[in-house]
This record gives sequence, C-alpha cells and structure tokens, in this order.
Amino acid sequence: MESFFSRYRNLLVLLAVLVAQIVGLAVQVRRVDSGRSTLDTGDGSGVRLIRMWTNALITPPERLIHSSKLGAGSLWSNYIDLRHVREQNRQLQQTIDRLQLEQASLLEDARQGQRLQGLVNFQEKYIYATLAAQAIGSSGSDQSRVFYLDKGSSDGLDRDMAVITPDGIVGKIRDVFPHSAQVLAINDQTAGAGVILESTRIRGILRGNAAGQPQIVGILADQRIQPGEKVLTAGGDMVFPRGLPVGVVEKVVRDPDRDSFIHVIVKPAAHLDRLDEVLVITSTQPHFSPQEQQDLATSELVKGPEAAAIKEQKKASAIMAEHLPGLIDPNLPPEKQPLLDSSNPNGVARPPLPLHPDRFTPGTAVTPASPTDSETTPQAKPESAETHPGAKPKPHLATPASGPDHKTAPATQPDSSRQATPQRNP
Amino acid sequence: MSVLSANTRRDLEVHRYPLLVYVLVPLAALVLQAWLPRVVGRYVWFDLPLVVTIYFALGRRSPIQGTLMGGGLGLFEDALTHHAIGVNGIAKTVAGFLAASVGVRIDVENHTIRILLNFSLSLLCSGIYVFIYRVLLGLDLEWSWLTELLKAVGNSLIAFVLFPILDRVQIRD
Repeated sequence: MESFFSRYRNLLVLLAVLVAQIVGLAVQVRRVDSGRSTLDTGDGSGVRLIRMWTNALITPPERLIHSSKLGAGSLWSNYIDLRHVREQNRQLQQTIDRLQLEQASLLEDARQGQRLQGLVNFQEKYIYATLAAQAIGSSGSDQSRVFYLDKGSSDGLDRDMAVITPDGIVGKIRDVFPHSAQVLAINDQTAGAGVILESTRIRGILRGNAAGQPQIVGILADQRIQPGEKVLTAGGDMVFPRGLPVGVVEKVVRDPDRDSFIHVIVKPAAHLDRLDEVLVITSTQPHFSPQEQQDLATSELVKGPEAAAIKEQKKASAIMAEHLPGLIDPNLPPEKQPLLDSSNPNGVARPPLPLHPDRFTPGTAVTPASPTDSETTPQAKPESAETHPGAKPKPHLATPASGPDHKTAPATQPDSSRQATPQRNP
Repeated sequence: MSVLSANTRRDLEVHRYPLLVYVLVPLAALVLQAWLPRVVGRYVWFDLPLVVTIYFALGRRSPIQGTLMGGGLGLFEDALTHHAIGVNGIAKTVAGFLAASVGVRIDVENHTIRILLNFSLSLLCSGIYVFIYRVLLGLDLEWSWLTELLKAVGNSLIAFVLFPILDRVQIRD
C-alpha cells in the first residue's frame, strides 16, 4: 500500500488538487429555471474570503506602483512644467464667472422642476454626490473586464453604485472591500446597462462582446439605426441615472443566433482601456452638500441680478417675437417668400432637411386628387391659399426648401409647379 | 534526439533558488499581470503567472511542486476576476504538472525547447479554460482563438527574455 502511494504520489496529488477545485467550482455555479447555468452574483463566504485575501495581497503593491507613478508625474507637472499657468488661471477665472452666471440662472428652474416632480409624485434620478477615485489595477484577464479602485467601503462606496467619467459611463461597483472596490466595466460580457438611442428612441441592453466592445443586444433590425447616433443611459436599470452619455453607434451587425435581431456595436464615450480617475455616484437623492449649497449661495449673490436681467431680456425678446408679423406673406409667390428668398442677405435660417422623408414629413403629404383638380383654373389656388393661410403655406415652404437637388419630394413638385404657373403667366 | 533527452547529470540537476525568489517572483507576476493591462490597454496578450509556473516547474522538476504552484497562482488569478474561482486554477495545475513531468525527461536548459513548451502549454491552458467554462460549468462565454494564439506568442516572447534572467538567480553548487 505504501509503495502504491509513493509510486503514484505525483498523480494522486494532482488528482486531489483537481478534485478540490472542481468541487469548489460546483458550489459557485447554480442552474436557473431556464435550464442554463449561471454564476452566483453574490459570492459565498468562502469565495469572498479568497477574493479578500487576494485583494489584500495584490492591492498594496499596485497602490505603491500607482502612487510612485503619480509622484513622478506630479513632480514634473507641479514643479517643472509650470509654463502657461498664468494664462490658464485667467481662462479658468473667466470660466468660473460664466458658470456662476449660468448656475444662478438655472437654479430657479431646477427648484421649480423639483417642486413639479414632487407634485406629480415622480422622482427622477439626478447625480447629487460623487466621489473621485483612482483606478489602480485590473483583473489581468481579457475575459474579465473588471478593474479596482483605490477607495472602498470605508470611503462610503457600496455595491451597484454607478462609475462614470466626465466623458461617459464606465461601469458599476461589483464588490467592495475595506479599502478598495471592484468595478465591472460596461464592456464585460456579463455587464448589463439599460440604454436608449438618442434620436430613434430605441431601447436595449448594453453588454460587452468577446473583443471587449460594448454592444446593444436584443433589438429588432431597424434601418433607422445609423453609425454616429448617440447612445444614452435609459435610467431603468436602477444603477445609472437617465441621460448619461454611453457612446456612439459604431456599426450594426446581425445577431448570429437570431435572424431578425441585430447587435449594435457602440464606441464608448469613456476610454475604458485607459482609465485613470473616475467618479462614483454615491447619491442620487435630491439634497445638496454644504459645499454645493455654499456655491449656489455665492452664485446667487454674485451673479443673481445679472442672470435675472438676462432672463428678463430673453422674455421680452420672446414676447416681441410673438407680436412681430409672420414670415409668410400670402400675397407673395412661393419663391419670393421671405423665408426662402435667397437674395435677402439677412434671410431666416431654414429648417434642416429630413434625412429619410416619409409620409409624415411636413410638406410631403399627397393630397388626394379631386375630380375637379384638372379643371381648376390657375387662379383658383392662390385664392385658396389666401382663404386658409395656416394650412396651405406648408407645401409652399417645403418644396423650395427641399431645393432642386432634393430627390425625395415628388409629391410636392407638381403641386408647387401648378401654383407657380399663374405667377409666371399672369 | 540526444539534444532533447536529459541523460547527463547536469541535465537532471534540480535547480534551487533563494526563498525570497520563490515568494517575490510569483507575487510580482500576479501584481504585474493585474497592473500592466492599465498600461497596455486591451492588448493583454500575456499570462505572467503561467510563465512563472512553467519556469519553476521545469527548473524544480517536481510535479508536486509544479501542481501546487500552478494551482495556487491560478486561484489567485481567478480571485482577481469576477468569474468562478478555480477555472484558471485547474488549467494552471495541469500546466504545472505537465511542465514538471516533461522537465524530468528533456533538456530544459535548451531555450528553444523552453519556448516551445511555453507556447504549447499556453494553448493547452486556454483550451482547458474554455472546456471548463463552457462544458463543465455550462456558462456562456464568447471566445476568440486568435487572441489565445497571440497570448501564447506573447508568453513565449516573455519566456525568451525572462528565463535567462531567472536562471541567474538560481543557487549553483
């Protein structure tokens, strides 16, 4: 018996280590109702202990490397490279003045908005408190896109807090240790954030793919989704407040598993691969910190009257604009309308052309041909335009605004030509 | 074949290192593996704990030590991720055991052999990782074999540079 153990000692040790690890794996995975396996999102006490030990072992050297890197950087930037500081200081002072003016102007609107939200019992999440933290390390694996922050539960961080940068969202806190925290980035395969496309208003779930690119999954194929469209947080995932920038659509690819579905690859707004300093949203409750209250008071005191004067000025301009005569003169032919008169150097800005005009686009609606249409005398149309100035000018405006190079307004072309004819041949 | 086989006394010599090297080198491998991706961005085409496991397993020529070192480093690597703890552990346990078993039979002083071993064991580790994740655990995981191939090449290059440096710190009679 002894010879058996001594002879196969190596293999037995290998088997023992493997079996122990397989048993350990088995307790971490459970089967869900759909029949698939999933990892427990909350680690068991044993697993958490291993993670904590590893964190305690790895984080201090990482912190040391990071602080030495920062120290060298600050030595350069704070003592050696101090050129243009006066100029920057002057620009920053100007920015502070401008922001104080804007803050004083927006303060009353914000208060009114909160009062209204309270009235309709609707609580929108805003960012009220953030905590700056440094990214000090990562998982070291491209299969697990997590990174570590130098702040932890002792600094007030907790699980499921959103992590952002001024450019866009980054991820959410997955696990918290006393002096560090693990953040699951939005480009991980197990991440999930509710997002919405800005112009098409299509909603979806954002998660990463094998290449580490964030992608919106589970949406039906839609021709309107084009590269360059902005992606924002939708606010329904209980992590990210609504309206934060996520990125822009990079490309659209077919879902390999489901024919009618697509994946929208998103170019993230935040530089997920080179994160340095991030902000953790620690509170979305409507309260202001003492420092913020002091800033608001300062803004009101310093720039309040100025902001009020600007607001009054804008209100007066709006009232005046309402009383000014309309820009559509029913007595003038379409090409001489003030809105469309190219000879006028102070012409009014035209509305932007629709990218994909459809039957709902103003000016492209087809009027059903009446039996008397062909018999209508040339003088009949201008008269009707005079009778209904609010309804008829639309085709007049839309057709020339589309321009001669606009190829997608066939419905309006005959109409405008019919109306223009009597003006050319009175 | 005589080049490959370890038939001289020197070839079968067990390399010994100061205790500090046994502690600091694996620790440095773990720390750098966690820190370097912040510098190199998405190009994490290396696995320093695996390279260190293979080096010590080849040098010590002890399958038990290779098994334990591989298992330990793999578990630490797993603990840094948000995945199940044990996947990398199993993969590196097997890699450590195989490297030490091979080290008994071939000339591990030869750089080409060590680099080839690194390359093949890196690919084997990736294969075991996918097998455990997809088959054993039945979890969803998208996978790119090109990345794993690049990682194997990266490990081989690191081994080409690192092994001669570590050879210098071994205790010689």
